[in-house]
Amino acid sequence: MKNYLEIKNLDYSVNSEHILNDVNFNINKKGEIVCLLGPSGIGKTTILRSIAGLIKPRNGKITLKDKTLTSDNEFVEPEDRNISLSFQDNSLFPHYNVEENIKFGVKRSLFCSKNKNGPLGYSVDDLLDLFFIKELKKKYPHEISAGQAQRVSLVRSIIHNPDLLLLDEPLANIDQYLKNKIQDNLKQVLKKSGLTTIIVTHDKFEAFYLGDYCGVLLNKRIVQFDSPYNLHHLPKNKMVVEFFNRGVLIPAKIKSDDTLYNEDLGEIKGNFSNIDFQGRDQVDLLIQPEDLEHDDKSKLKFDVVDKKFRGSSFIYILKTHSNLMLPVFVHSHHEHLHQENEKFGIKQPIYIDHLVCF
Amino acid sequence: MQFYQNYFSKIKINFWLISSLLISSLICVPILIILSSFFTELSGYYKLLTETYLYTYVINTVILFIGVILFSFVFGVGIAYLVSFYIFPGSKFITWAIILSFAVPGYIYAYSLTAFFEYFGNLYSLLTFLFGEADYNKYMPRVDSMFGSILSISFSLFVYVYLITRVCFIYQSQNQIDAGRNMGFSKYQIFSKILIPAARPGIIAGLSLVAMETISDFGTVSFFNVQTLTTAIYDSWIFYDDLNTAYQLSFFLILFVFIFFSIEKFSRSRSQYNIPNKGYKTVEKTTLKGKQAFIASFFCFFIFFLSFVFPVSQMLFWVLKFPASFNLNEILTLSFNTSFLVIITTSILIFLSFLTNYGMRVTDSKLLSTVTNFSISGYAIPGIILSVTILTFASLLSNFFGNSFFKIIIIGTVFGMITAYCIRFYALAINGIKSGYEKLNKSIDDVSYLMGYTKFGTFIKVHVPFLKQNLVIIGMMVSIDILKELPITFILRPYNFDTFATKAYVFASQDMLEYAASPSLFLILFSSIFILFSRKFILKGF
Repeated sequence: MKNYLEIKNLDYSVNSEHILNDVNFNINKKGEIVCLLGPSGIGKTTILRSIAGLIKPRNGKITLKDKTLTSDNEFVEPEDRNISLSFQDNSLFPHYNVEENIKFGVKRSLFCSKNKNGPLGYSVDDLLDLFFIKELKKKYPHEISAGQAQRVSLVRSIIHNPDLLLLDEPLANIDQYLKNKIQDNLKQVLKKSGLTTIIVTHDKFEAFYLGDYCGVLLNKRIVQFDSPYNLHHLPKNKMVVEFFNRGVLIPAKIKSDDTLYNEDLGEIKGNFSNIDFQGRDQVDLLIQPEDLEHDDKSKLKFDVVDKKFRGSSFIYILKTHSNLMLPVFVHSHHEHLHQENEKFGIKQPIYIDHLVCF
Repeated sequence: MQFYQNYFSKIKINFWLISSLLISSLICVPILIILSSFFTELSGYYKLLTETYLYTYVINTVILFIGVILFSFVFGVGIAYLVSFYIFPGSKFITWAIILSFAVPGYIYAYSLTAFFEYFGNLYSLLTFLFGEADYNKYMPRVDSMFGSILSISFSLFVYVYLITRVCFIYQSQNQIDAGRNMGFSKYQIFSKILIPAARPGIIAGLSLVAMETISDFGTVSFFNVQTLTTAIYDSWIFYDDLNTAYQLSFFLILFVFIFFSIEKFSRSRSQYNIPNKGYKTVEKTTLKGKQAFIASFFCFFIFFLSFVFPVSQMLFWVLKFPASFNLNEILTLSFNTSFLVIITTSILIFLSFLTNYGMRVTDSKLLSTVTNFSISGYAIPGIILSVTILTFASLLSNFFGNSFFKIIIIGTVFGMITAYCIRFYALAINGIKSGYEKLNKSIDDVSYLMGYTKFGTFIKVHVPFLKQNLVIIGMMVSIDILKELPITFILRPYNFDTFATKAYVFASQDMLEYAASPSLFLILFSSIFILFSRKFILKGF
């Protein structure tokens, strides 16, 4: 068997305006979770709708379990795909209560094709419990909040036990204090039931926690499809760096196969994550907040221009002689006394595990 | 394969287009016939008419129109303002009770006015009962025909203005009013600078509807013998057997009607900015006290009395006074006829409008929505013109095919009547289902497909249960309209086939008002029941 799900050369356009341009990615095995990350309005939802068969892409091929769903001359109707989609906006049937809404997907009738997968390992009540909406069972959609409706919609798409589960911003409207618990429970349900899932989100941490793999969608295409660890530490290009907005790029000169040189910071050692610079020796080096270390005794000192409190950490912004703004991460377990306009020392020699250069 | 798919999707779109195209082309018929009549030679009668009475007809139509507009404005906006912003004794009751006046068609109001003021009429009986025998006839005011028509039509139509204006008033946000106060506006300034301008599109839309119906009115003016364009059309067709003149007069009428139709459409679309959104805060009503409360109450109840209680009491009194005129068999037959028409028409309309609305939902076809927008303009064509042109069309078809098939199935048949009803009330059904569909998010269909339901399964399991209420309301509204409809039924009905409206009209035009009383009373009774059942929907601005 090849990949569980394959998406090849997916193009989509509305009125000659490109929404998606040559989107490719695969899910290798059943039960894997893939998260699609990207800014809003970039076409993440369009990918889900194409996979579900709600829109016809202009080009491209979608294969699920060795069966072609969409290609130039084949198209399986959405009702015959056995794919569930939980929509971002409220898509509950307004004239049915929560329980009826959820069972709408389970009850089979004359007008409904049969689901081959059989029942899920969880009952409706189990799921309602896990997502903290048990008490809403008899309520109608207009009587519950947007966040609750979203969880009902989530349960409704899961209980169907589909071949592929698509979740569009499933936790977007949920209060922060519940979010972590629900994320845990969602991951547990998906993993235990072996549901292959694609989750669209703009929350990086949600994607990193839930996804076995993440795809970053920028500029109408998937620019990097990788494990969460690699996405964070080894971004493939400047666009990804900018999207995560985690560090700064500084000019540097390649000295040897493990050394770089920057005018302000001096020598920087480490392992190059990519080495193809087409013969250039002048490159842009990515400095992420945790790359540089604080050291009061160091001779290398810069001015503090800003200090951001992030709960478990501070991020200091330092200004170098050539006006670079460097972020430095410091644990917050003791109150740091460095104030703005004070000097801040950086530990030398500088060693960075992953040297990401462009 | 690709070719086949494209071909198939085209066929699908054409399938949805059928009903819209059907109705649209039927609507084109009257317009085309009327326009083409302008290129035929003018008849001698038309020339005579232009030299003699045409001017009078137009003037009469204009006077009638101005009078009705003035009264409808005062009654409609006045009551809407009072019940939307104030609490006074009976304000809650009046809010819905006032729409009962919608159950009394203008011509029946005309009968009651006449019955009340005529020699030895109901006023005479009342005075005799109160003060004993005397020659009251001498002092009895005569109802002027023009003034009588204006009153009758105003009382039966002002509810349009009330309904649309009220919706505009209640959807205003208290925040706007508070903002006005904050800027130091007085109560009067708030009314004139904030409330009225915001409700203006609604008021104009309501008045345009009233204007359209007024100048197309046939029953009231023909009963009072006021010569207007509609009666002139009828006379030149029936008495002078001059169809061309009828068409040329129709042209003027249709011109007027379409001006108001366009104003109404334009104003309605502008009044959309009143639809509430987030941050909207409902208006806080002020409780009136003392003299103010009395005046408000008195004004509303006076209008309610005049527009509903008065005509009902007149008809009731007459039925009781002449028990011989009440014929149970006749009432049963009329009820049966009316329900028959209602059921068939409603079923056809619901089928057609489901087809079109569902088509618009799944295809997103621009052509389809354009055609549909045109096809709902049928409600603007005056009933009398619609009927006359349908008859002409049947003859044209028969002549074209060289047999009398079309004449036989259309002229003087229930089929012909129902065709005309469908053209006229198509808008009602289309909009009734459309407003329901607008509340059903499109992604809901997608959810259903993804759960394995087919398109048809989604329609049956999701759409139909959701639109149940809309279906009932369409049925009610069509029933009220068919009950009250006069010219189409009167002209197109088969021999000896009557509804409450035609029965009452026939008796009234033969000066046998006491016999017109019981069909009129039952007409009002049934319409009132339907109005009461659908009042929640009607109050939303239908």
